[in-house]
Amino acid sequence: MQKYLSQQNFTTLLDKLITEGKRVVAPRLNSGTVLYEPLQSAAETVTDQLPRRSGKEAFFPLCEDIMSYRKEGQQVLLNDIDPARFPETVLVGVRPCDAAAVPVLDAVFSWDYKDEFFLERRRKTTIVGLACTTADDACFCTAVGLAPDNPKGADLFLTPLEGGGYACETYSEKGEQLIQAHRQLFDEPRNSTALPLAQPQTETVDLKKVKAWLDEHFEDPAWDSIATRCVGCGACAFVCPVCHCFDIVDEGTEKSGKRRKNWDACGFWKFTHHASGHNPRDQQPKRYRNRIMHKFKYYDDKFGQILCTGCGRCIRLCPVGIDIASIVEEISKK
Amino acid sequence: MCSNSTTGSNIYLPHLATVEEIIDETPDVRTLRLVFQDEQLRNSFSFRAGQFAEYSAFGAGESTFCIASSPTRTGYIECCFRSVGRVTEALRRLEVGDSMGVRGPYGNSFPIEQFFGKNLVFVAGGIALPPLRTLIWNCLDLREKFADITIVYGARSEADLVYKRELQEWQQRSDVRLVKTVDPGGNGPEWDGKVGFVPTILEETAPAAENTIALVCGPPIMIKFTLPVLEKLGFTDEQVYTTLENRMKCGLGKCGRCNVGNVYVCKDGPVFTAAQVKAMPAEF
Repeated sequence: MQKYLSQQNFTTLLDKLITEGKRVVAPRLNSGTVLYEPLQSAAETVTDQLPRRSGKEAFFPLCEDIMSYRKEGQQVLLNDIDPARFPETVLVGVRPCDAAAVPVLDAVFSWDYKDEFFLERRRKTTIVGLACTTADDACFCTAVGLAPDNPKGADLFLTPLEGGGYACETYSEKGEQLIQAHRQLFDEPRNSTALPLAQPQTETVDLKKVKAWLDEHFEDPAWDSIATRCVGCGACAFVCPVCHCFDIVDEGTEKSGKRRKNWDACGFWKFTHHASGHNPRDQQPKRYRNRIMHKFKYYDDKFGQILCTGCGRCIRLCPVGIDIASIVEEISKK
Repeated sequence: MCSNSTTGSNIYLPHLATVEEIIDETPDVRTLRLVFQDEQLRNSFSFRAGQFAEYSAFGAGESTFCIASSPTRTGYIECCFRSVGRVTEALRRLEVGDSMGVRGPYGNSFPIEQFFGKNLVFVAGGIALPPLRTLIWNCLDLREKFADITIVYGARSEADLVYKRELQEWQQRSDVRLVKTVDPGGNGPEWDGKVGFVPTILEETAPAAENTIALVCGPPIMIKFTLPVLEKLGFTDEQVYTTLENRMKCGLGKCGRCNVGNVYVCKDGPVFTAAQVKAMPAEF
């Protein structure tokens, strides 16, 4: 289904969704930083900047309760978290690199055991993607097979038009339902020209070649030079739209408290540290190797997809200037 | 009892179990015998030898251990752990009648049906007997299905041997051969076993490789020296099984930390043949 949505109706749509009681999550300015956050009003939305962190936390929060416990004498009472309580959500203004991450994450959270914390939020969320008209030096979506107008993962995709407003195209039933429920705000498609798309500078990387090298080079002197600078701060994993490693911790006392699922990062030394003191990844290059291997080999081996959408956030934020796009490009040329 | 509001869809929610019995194996190694509080679960819970579980001490968190009791002994499960960290210290503070959490069973298991009709040689070191003890009792409870059974078990000293009562029982049985050993210097005046490292003692006492399966669990250094001995004795890598241990959190193939290369110990393991282990990158 193709429609036109004026800029004003875009704002009206968001306010209507908020009034209907939906959780509307969109890029929003928070103390100088743009983040995907729940809106109080449509006016808060900032659509011209890539949010600092990815959209994954709409489905996979940085920290979430998975149960609570309370001890009474020798007995313990557990309180389950019912995913049915998760609110209906519309995730708006999602960049293609963030929208594309969601079906990638579906694979790990739905194979074998089902993680309903992710999956129920996923079912209850409609993703409204937005094409990019600006890119910075770190953007490299085109290098990993995506594009500033790639609708992967979006239920409804918006392309900004010359003279204002958006061309809308639906990619799922959820997208169509969103339009049907608010059809008075959507007009018939116009013949306007789309605004020029962003042009990420990185050239396309041959991911098959990257995979082929990784398949054969678990041990290679290159890993030391690639990763020797890494300080293990974990920032790259926290801002990544597809990094999904987590920890499970109890927060509270022996009497009462909560069990939580918190984001974790393979760059942390403690991530694989055994109680005995042994650590299979005892040096930072080994941990960084795991990061690259997981993204471009292991996840592909298991699920046929790579764990990178080229958003460039890890490049922008790395305190020691590690550039994953250049690393992968170099590997593809080995 | 504990009636909990559960939707049944939370894969991270543990079952509640009561500590029924506490057995101190060594000064810092303890066995807990656990009974599920839900009667239906108590009767229906089943697992296979080699599988593991996530055990929780509420307020401290979860730890990963094998299920150390045999699947043939129903109505309870046992775990065995050394107190080395926050969770194991908290588990150690539990008393008989206290409640704890158990999630599982997870992971693959020993392909016991493939061992029918064969000789078995169990090779274990120190605290690594529990992952084999589940299988040892499983096999002893189905004794007629197997040919000769040999157990080679060693520890640093007499005090470090776990399951001492069971060692005695195995020693007395005529249908199993127990070879127990302690490292040089670890033997007291009463010691009636061998003195020497496990790989050396194995070489002296192992059954012929033909029609035999070797099941090896121990610290990395023991494994490192045991595999070449088995090879020298004529065992192929497909005849040798071991279990890998890695730090885990979810146990469900989600949290991303237990992988060795692209192999996830929690889902693809913890039981592997020596052939599978040798095909992995050296990251364990």
